Amino acid sequence: MTLKAPHMLNRRQAVFKTLSMGAFALPASSVLAEASAKSGRMVLVFLRGAYDGLSMLAPHGDAMYAQIRPNIAIPKPDGTLKTALALDTTFGLHPACAALLPLWQQGVLAAIPCAGSPDSSRSHFDAQYHWETGKPGASSPAPGWLNVLSGLIGKGVGVHALGVGESSPRILSGPSPVQLVGNGLLATRPGTLAETKTREAVLQLYADHEKMASAMLEGANNRMSTAAILKAPNMAASKELQAANNGAGSPQGLALDAKHLGLLMQQNRQLRLGFLSSGGWDTHINQGNVTGLLANNLTNLTNALVQLRASFNEPDDVIVVASEFGRTCAENGTRGTDHGRGNVMWLMGQRVQGGKWHGRWDGLSKDRLNEGRDLPVHHDFREVFSQVLASSFGLPKASVAEIFPGFRMDHSLDGLFNV
Amino acid sequence: MKPNFQLKQCLLHVLVVFLLFGIVGCVQQPLMAPSAALPASSMSIQGAASEWRAINRLTYGPTPALLADVKTNGQPLIWALTQLDAARKASLEAPKLPPDLASINNSLPAIFDGVRKERVARASVPAGTRINENVANEKRFHFQEDIEPIFFNRTQVNKAVAWRLASCSNDDVEQPLLARMTEFWFNHFNVYQQKGTVRAFAGHYAIHVARAHALGKFEDLVLASAKHPAMLYYLDQWLSVSPQPARSGQSSRGLNENYARELMELHTLGVQGGYTQNDVKELARILTGWTVSARSDTGFQFVMRLHESGHKTLMGQSIPESAQFIGEKEGEHAIRFLANHPSTAKRISRRLAEYFVADVPPQTLIDEMSSTFMATGGDIYQVMKVMLNHSAFWDPENKLYRTPYDFACASLRVLNVGQDRTKWLQAFGYAAVAGNGIQNWQTPDGYAFNANTWFTPEALTRRIDFALNIARNTSERNDLYAYLGDKTQKAVMQQPPAQRMGFVLGSSELVFK
Repeated sequence: MTLKAPHMLNRRQAVFKTLSMGAFALPASSVLAEASAKSGRMVLVFLRGAYDGLSMLAPHGDAMYAQIRPNIAIPKPDGTLKTALALDTTFGLHPACAALLPLWQQGVLAAIPCAGSPDSSRSHFDAQYHWETGKPGASSPAPGWLNVLSGLIGKGVGVHALGVGESSPRILSGPSPVQLVGNGLLATRPGTLAETKTREAVLQLYADHEKMASAMLEGANNRMSTAAILKAPNMAASKELQAANNGAGSPQGLALDAKHLGLLMQQNRQLRLGFLSSGGWDTHINQGNVTGLLANNLTNLTNALVQLRASFNEPDDVIVVASEFGRTCAENGTRGTDHGRGNVMWLMGQRVQGGKWHGRWDGLSKDRLNEGRDLPVHHDFREVFSQVLASSFGLPKASVAEIFPGFRMDHSLDGLFNV
Repeated sequence: MKPNFQLKQCLLHVLVVFLLFGIVGCVQQPLMAPSAALPASSMSIQGAASEWRAINRLTYGPTPALLADVKTNGQPLIWALTQLDAARKASLEAPKLPPDLASINNSLPAIFDGVRKERVARASVPAGTRINENVANEKRFHFQEDIEPIFFNRTQVNKAVAWRLASCSNDDVEQPLLARMTEFWFNHFNVYQQKGTVRAFAGHYAIHVARAHALGKFEDLVLASAKHPAMLYYLDQWLSVSPQPARSGQSSRGLNENYARELMELHTLGVQGGYTQNDVKELARILTGWTVSARSDTGFQFVMRLHESGHKTLMGQSIPESAQFIGEKEGEHAIRFLANHPSTAKRISRRLAEYFVADVPPQTLIDEMSSTFMATGGDIYQVMKVMLNHSAFWDPENKLYRTPYDFACASLRVLNVGQDRTKWLQAFGYAAVAGNGIQNWQTPDGYAFNANTWFTPEALTRRIDFALNIARNTSERNDLYAYLGDKTQKAVMQQPPAQRMGFVLGSSELVFK
């Protein structure tokens, strides 16, 4: 684990940004030179709070499933939307995700049932931190790995990553500049400085401070062009409601954020990494089954994924869905599930070996579970992303090592993508 | 005292400011400090600039009463030292909580009981019933009605945030420098108030850890943090025990290094402070058995049964198994040792100087603060006094950019609306959307407070949006104009009176401090 004090990071940022502004020549680096041989794009949809993968990808073929989830299991497929939608004899899709079934059948949607972090923390924030820095087990300040990746893709020049929704997600923070757009309708508001009169008045206010004035103008221009691309209705009403949401998106807002992300990345083809997130998945109590709390969230997620599929359908594009960890296999005493370990990751894209699930699955009998209660982590999340980085970005091993320091691929998921 | 600047030092500052502002976001060129450097001979801790500096750095900004106070005093350094004394005095007294926020300061057993009742209430909700977890925004800071047991935790969080807003904006509620010190220490010993088990305790932690020890001995501050349920839960210390055999139906338990690591890396020594991974493990062993108690008045208990006995070595120091260091005393001994370590003295001095003086404070200042820290057994009051008496604190070259949290609080003071909870809501929302929500940082490192983090083009435009919105139709304050630059004044006066305060708030004089 490399440890870095915040002020050290800032100094590094300083150097990095000076470089990226072209003030100095970049150091020669074989890693940078080789990087990014392919033109694909990746969108990561991160479900904060640990979604229940065993509801979205229901193992109806395992007799234990209904037994350990008497109230919340998704029933065996009977061909209706009141039961799981059969994918094969082992798994079925939650009926709220019916709109994803055609994508599975077309072979562009795949699942990895037992993926996760090698770190055993069941703390949301620790685990999210590990996922976002790409350094399981380390809690010291570190840049987000999508930020590092953005720097590699652009060889230190330009903005290649876009986050829609959160004000400053860890996964995008770090030395490379990224574009961040507010959640929901916030993104569509150019702000008070869209008015020429106000802009000019603020320019006068900063008459003695040229650099503040230029920063203000740059920020105002960015926001105006984002708002213009999103062609937003100028809705002032729910501003404060949005403001109070602590910047975290809701599952309902996810489809709108997904739409914004697609539009912005279509307009600016330099942007090749997209990040979306939603909260509200921590279903300890009354999570429901075919209907209910979780089913509503899955409907919203499905809408967002269908939206994303429409925007990202070029050969090397890929969409990834993940959570920081999984939930307990058995339901708890309050018809919900508690924090677990392994979880289902989803991949969607032209090059994905879709219509099937990948990797190891040992079923739900107790002796096959982590500590007798959770899905085990058979596949490190970094293994999954390393596959994506090779397939969509053509990144060489050396770059992957820069993004996930100390991680070695085990190639247990080598069939994940069509070559 | 007479500040005496060497030319070399001034040049260094210019370079530092240049470097700092040149690296931000997409700003193409370095941002110069709003005011030009004064020649060293004209430096003086008197006049409008020093008054403005003192009030904006030691408090969140100028209320009419406080501005009149510093002006009448006429000696900003004397005024600053008076604030420091007043803050220390206030820290030793109970906080003046608005009555509807009082439950954050209930006894710890009572807070534990509230948590238990919420758990019971949630378990008895019929299957399929959806609990509305979202507080209507306009109700977020209204606590007059009795709170349902099922919403105990989230109400405690909202009250804790409301108390921070009350104390940063309203000098009847809190001594203004103490409000700042409380923010600083809460952030230094950060806990995440949205973590499930922490929620009910975050306000109590702010009061009894960050505030109560804000200007006392640093070792007492670390110990108070170490034994508070909020910290015990946040960094999992309460679960860290000597390896136990698994009982039926439970997973096996053992050592958890989380707290021990952050105690050294973030709270005391710093990452370069001279400890090793083995020291982390040894410290974790020393602290086994430190856990929460729902019944004790302190919320803390030491459980000998869960403590790992045996000889330990911490940073080359042997801690023998003797009566002097047995059990809980062993941990207290280790914490006092870390709190008084020279690496800690340097780290704490630098952090304080970064917060109050400059993003890159002069080394001479850090050194003086640090040697006072060592000489006084970590007396934070004395360390602060050295800082205030140092010329660097008053040097106009040492710029600070307000964090969103800071700016949110400043807006309530500048607009003189500290009593208005709808304005709190706006201020709270701005800070949250800007990524600097009040007591809302997830990881133990706390929020950054430098320009490098917060000064970006888009963030500046959102700050201006907020300033213009929250200031709409607030009363003009003529007492502020003497402190604004000529061009700022001119630009403000061109606005109709009802809009002037927004431009005052958005001016460089208040965006920076």
